[in-house]
Amino acid sequence: MVKRYEEKFEQKISKKLPISELNFVVLDTETTGLDIKKDHILAFGAIKIIGNRIKVDTAREHFLKSSKKSASSIKIHEIIQPANALPLREFVRSLLPYLGNDILVAHHAGFDLAMLEKATLPFGLRKILNPVVDTGDLAIRLEHGIRYDPSRINLKDYSLDALCDRYKIPIHDRHNAAGDAFLTAQLLLKLLKEAEKKGINTFGDLMRW
Amino acid sequence: MPNVIVNRVKEFLHRFPPFSFLSDQLLESVSREVELMYFSKGEYIFKKGNPASPHFFVLKEGSVYLTDEDSGKMVVKDYCDEGEVFGALALLGQRPYVLNSYVAEDTLLYAVPVAVFDKVLKENSEVSLYFAAGFAAGQVVVRTDLSQSQKARKLLRDASSDHGLSLFMEEGKLNFPTEVLSCQLGVTVGDAAKLMYEKGVGSIAILNQRGYPVGIITDKDLRNRLVAAGLPYTTKVEEIMTSPVITLHHQSDFPSIYLMMIKHRLHHLILTEDGTTDSKITGIVSDHDVFLSHGNSPAVLIHALMNTWNVQEMRGIRDRAESLLGYFLENEVAIDFVASIMSEINDVIIKRAILLAKKKLDKDFEEESKVPFCFLSLGSEGRQEQLLRTDLDNAIVFQDVPIDQLPRTKLYFETLAQEVIETLIACGYHPCPSEVMANNPDWCQPLSVWKSYFHDWVNLPQEEALMKATIFFDFRPVHGHKQLSEEMTAAIYRMVDQKPSFLSFLAKNALLNPPPMGFFKNFIVEKSGEHQDQFDIKLRAMMPLADAARILALSHSVSRVNNTFERFEKLAELEPQNASLYQEARSAYEIFLRLRALEGIASGTSGRYITPRSLGKLQRQLLKNAFSPIHKIQELLTVRFQTDYIRS
Repeated sequence: MVKRYEEKFEQKISKKLPISELNFVVLDTETTGLDIKKDHILAFGAIKIIGNRIKVDTAREHFLKSSKKSASSIKIHEIIQPANALPLREFVRSLLPYLGNDILVAHHAGFDLAMLEKATLPFGLRKILNPVVDTGDLAIRLEHGIRYDPSRINLKDYSLDALCDRYKIPIHDRHNAAGDAFLTAQLLLKLLKEAEKKGINTFGDLMRW
Repeated sequence: MPNVIVNRVKEFLHRFPPFSFLSDQLLESVSREVELMYFSKGEYIFKKGNPASPHFFVLKEGSVYLTDEDSGKMVVKDYCDEGEVFGALALLGQRPYVLNSYVAEDTLLYAVPVAVFDKVLKENSEVSLYFAAGFAAGQVVVRTDLSQSQKARKLLRDASSDHGLSLFMEEGKLNFPTEVLSCQLGVTVGDAAKLMYEKGVGSIAILNQRGYPVGIITDKDLRNRLVAAGLPYTTKVEEIMTSPVITLHHQSDFPSIYLMMIKHRLHHLILTEDGTTDSKITGIVSDHDVFLSHGNSPAVLIHALMNTWNVQEMRGIRDRAESLLGYFLENEVAIDFVASIMSEINDVIIKRAILLAKKKLDKDFEEESKVPFCFLSLGSEGRQEQLLRTDLDNAIVFQDVPIDQLPRTKLYFETLAQEVIETLIACGYHPCPSEVMANNPDWCQPLSVWKSYFHDWVNLPQEEALMKATIFFDFRPVHGHKQLSEEMTAAIYRMVDQKPSFLSFLAKNALLNPPPMGFFKNFIVEKSGEHQDQFDIKLRAMMPLADAARILALSHSVSRVNNTFERFEKLAELEPQNASLYQEARSAYEIFLRLRALEGIASGTSGRYITPRSLGKLQRQLLKNAFSPIHKIQELLTVRFQTDYIRS
């Protein structure tokens, strides 16, 4: 399982590939809390953008069986362990082929990535190898230029809610992994269009920070 | 697959036709396959001549113009805003795109794969009709087939809560006996009554030797013509029967049966195999059957009108007629039928008003009251198209009298007209603001003066004259000597024949109001690209068609047809090469008339001004499609009457 996943990265995505030919998988996780060491994933939602189109039929949503019940996070996300929750092993088994070598996209991607790595570690995968785009960082780069001064950025302006508001994406289904992934995907679609206007046309342009 | 995402897509699509017609399950299967695309201003989604993409598009946010090049210039053919479906021609015909789609504002689209929709088209007749009828944006440019729109309206009727869907026609359900009690000529009334008693029916048809209907006897006839008249039971049926009988073809639709009974004030209508009295009886319809089928029947209202001289009561009945109208419109009864019913009711009121006035005046004008006259309805009422009590337009023509008698004769008719107008206003009609009414001395004239009016208008076709011609040429005799109005008609045709250029002026005048293109974001989109808040459906949609029908009918010397529907039907017969255009124009006129009446009832106004915001998506699309034949008819007028060569 892990080997097959790792094999996909033997050949790197060409830097010259236009963005319109890239495959993105936009994801979001809901967790028991914000501590990477103690908390874990409760739900995973994702949807793909292929050829600049959000494809509804690629959307995924998984709920994970949880051994630990944290009252506080249940409160935040109102996730009640559903009947079809997967054991961790089965989740990882379906996750890796789904991710493939697509570009991973998430809002505040670092956290989701760390949570996914924590989930995959017990099965021998030490690192998620996919290229990663953070919609928050991308928005800052587009609005302030590539060499922005971090001290001048108010991070509150780059929350998912604030960005959806700014980019006129009606907010629905917040704090639901699939709902947030869908919002993030719509945000990415709009950001990529902005990026194109600023001359960011290829995979290389997109990944150069 | 996550439900939240699919549900979000579903929720949006469900708000707009044709997705609103889909079952939850089918809509879900479509929603699962949707793809979202984002375009920024200035981009093209597809260009004319591009091969069809395997998707069609639903606009989620933003706006798109469908454009075409006309001698190097980009011309907007259609506008798409939220919920608009476009790029669908490719879906149906697999043809290359016939228009460009230019992104006018940043736009988010739902792309629906043709593959998944093929199944929907096959399974859902409403959806396939939606596309066949040309409701998707850009389709109207390529083909308009309003007969499909008509069908679509009918079928799509229950499928959505969209207000637009209350525009459908339906025939009433009428139940009546097909086994008709009958007896031969020569039978005694006593025996006939026994048969009626045995069968428990209120009427018996009388047949001749060949078995064809020659008369009818009802309970009422037994009472009035036998018992009250003191005749013996051995009287033969032929002596008291009502004869001849009025018959209709046994496959007649409900509206014709209904109309026939109302026109002839029948209590019983006999249906026969071939519609004449020379064939076998197949059924009998009583006004009671009609009453049951409709609850509040026009026959009942007319009957009530015929039985009162009280103006307040007449007004009450006319108010009831208005609720009846609402009921007809909601139930999608054919509009020409509805229009003729309402005209019939209006006519009865006018006749009663005239009789009331005569009762009051005739004793003081003994000689004058014997002068033959005809009371004419003009304008929309003259065309039998007035559904609501809008402005009164009428006139009086009376026979020429010796010059010394003229002043007093004119006084009589002016006084009579004044009385009539007052009664009508008391019944809830509105006076004509430009005083085109019979109590105006100008419009209460002997035949010779009317002829000279027409002569002046035809020979000096200035703006004022043309405006009058459009109102006065649609006259219809309501009460009195029809021969007078027929002479007026004959005079008009003679004059127009002698001066055919008059028609060109009339045509030029009719082209002054080009219809708009359609709607966009609650705005009326004019050909020039201007916007306005309210839409004048009378001026911009109905008048151009009514004017065109009048001119074309005049050019063919079609007489005695002054209803716009009938004119177009007649024209379709006379010009087979343009038949489909005329049929479309007829359908379009029907759509406008119905919409105007619905708007009028809803807002308590004349319904002339429509707020696009209040219309549902489907209704707007329907209206937009209905504008299309107006353009084509106007082009036809331009070419045929060479209006470009006329200076006005």
